[in-house]
Amino acid sequence: MKLRTSEYFIQETFRSLRRNNWMSFASIGTVAVSLFVLGVFLLLVLNMNRLASSLESQVQISVYLEDGLSESARKDIASDIEALQGIEEIRYVPKAEAKERLAERLGDQKYLLDALGEKNPLPDSFEVVLKSPDLVETAATAITRMDGVEQAKYGQDVIEHLFAITRLIRIFGFALMVLLAGATLFIISNTIRLTVFARRKEVAIMKYVGATDWFIRWPFLLEGMVLGFVGGVLAAIALQSFYAAMASKIYETLAFFPLLPQVPYMYYVSIAILLAGMGIGALGSTISLKRFLKV
Amino acid sequence: MIQMKDVSKIYENGTMALDHVSIDIEKGEFVFLVGASGAGKSTFIKLLLREELPTEGELRVAGRDVVSMPRSEVPYLRRGLGVIFQDYRLLPDKTVFENVAFAMQVIEAPRRLMQRSVNAVLDVVGLRDKYKCFPRQLSGGEQQRVAIARAIVNDPAIVIADEPTGNLDPETSWDIMDIFERINRAGTTIVMATHDRNIVDAMKRRVIAIEDGHVVRDEARGGYGYEA
Repeated sequence: MKLRTSEYFIQETFRSLRRNNWMSFASIGTVAVSLFVLGVFLLLVLNMNRLASSLESQVQISVYLEDGLSESARKDIASDIEALQGIEEIRYVPKAEAKERLAERLGDQKYLLDALGEKNPLPDSFEVVLKSPDLVETAATAITRMDGVEQAKYGQDVIEHLFAITRLIRIFGFALMVLLAGATLFIISNTIRLTVFARRKEVAIMKYVGATDWFIRWPFLLEGMVLGFVGGVLAAIALQSFYAAMASKIYETLAFFPLLPQVPYMYYVSIAILLAGMGIGALGSTISLKRFLKV
Repeated sequence: MIQMKDVSKIYENGTMALDHVSIDIEKGEFVFLVGASGAGKSTFIKLLLREELPTEGELRVAGRDVVSMPRSEVPYLRRGLGVIFQDYRLLPDKTVFENVAFAMQVIEAPRRLMQRSVNAVLDVVGLRDKYKCFPRQLSGGEQQRVAIARAIVNDPAIVIADEPTGNLDPETSWDIMDIFERINRAGTTIVMATHDRNIVDAMKRRVIAIEDGHVVRDEARGGYGYEA
């Protein structure tokens, strides 16, 4: 494309954006809202996946013991566990220590424990660390069967629930996205249709003097892409502050939660959003060009 | 320059606009296309521009086979044709200069040629000094002259004019015909559809009369005739 020609395209694009300012505004708004929602779901799914994989890679089993176990029984259990395959480390956590840890984790909300007074409902436990995540499940099953063991908890049994939730979020998010994308396409193609209509004389003349189809299409395509792009930028900015706010909220209450760091993930999501915006914009233009230009 | 052989055009609604028409127009000819409204003149012009395809027959325009031409080549066909309409079809928010330059711009003609070519054609139609005016500041005749300038700025082999004097008074019409005559003398083929009996009779050029989709008369130095 010649420099002069692209100059012309850009001029035409911004001229008609100004001329349709109202519709341009509405289109940008719809794009921004849709893409924002897309971004929220994207971040949600990414975080869920990350949580799942971090749970999956956990090599620790918490073994809760029955109440009132004698010290010798406890030692038997410990040696039984140690005899299992792939045990890296085993550590005894008495109920008092468990309570202290809980208090620590609760932070500001430590007062919740005050209600318990001197009572401690937490069980004694072992923390068992394995050499590899593959061994966790077999070890946990074996440990659960031992006498005096109440239960053996590990990350993977949470994962199934997590996957179920993630799947739901994906389906719901996808359905919502399809709807929003449809609405966005509709409003963008309407905006472009207005532009095409406003310039139908010009387009007719262009055709008579021998402009190629692509020459005629470009300014409209660009207009759609600019609408999508600007909407995308707004969505990305909003998403950035939304995620930052959410992240600090989550860290306050769930400090252990393995949240995706803003850098570089926000960049990835922003780029995805911008590309999606421009794609939707270009598609919207193409739809109305097909229907109303017949170049 | 234009070879039409046994061309028929039947529209989707069943109207037979042209019925086995064969016409040969040589390079440099000046041809009037006469006939009542609905006789098939507009269809004839639409076929030349490939706005419509013939239902059957062969058609070559400016060395190109219009019938078998892929859609992507249509713009290049049209670059060899200059079109003028009864209603001028100028862009109201562009100046005279810009309206003419527009035809060069959209075919991506080199910028350095633009200034010179536009000035040259504005000289031909006598509007060089009005280059800054907008169409609404011009008379009908002047607007049509701008349209002519736009049609010839890319140096087409054929100029096709559809009732170019239809909205103009007789005197202004003669100014327009004068310009056409000069363009023709420079070697450009001209095909002009018209209702203007006085002009056709006075010019003594080739006349092709169409009636109900048939060529009923084709005379080298004809007049408008009596039937219309």
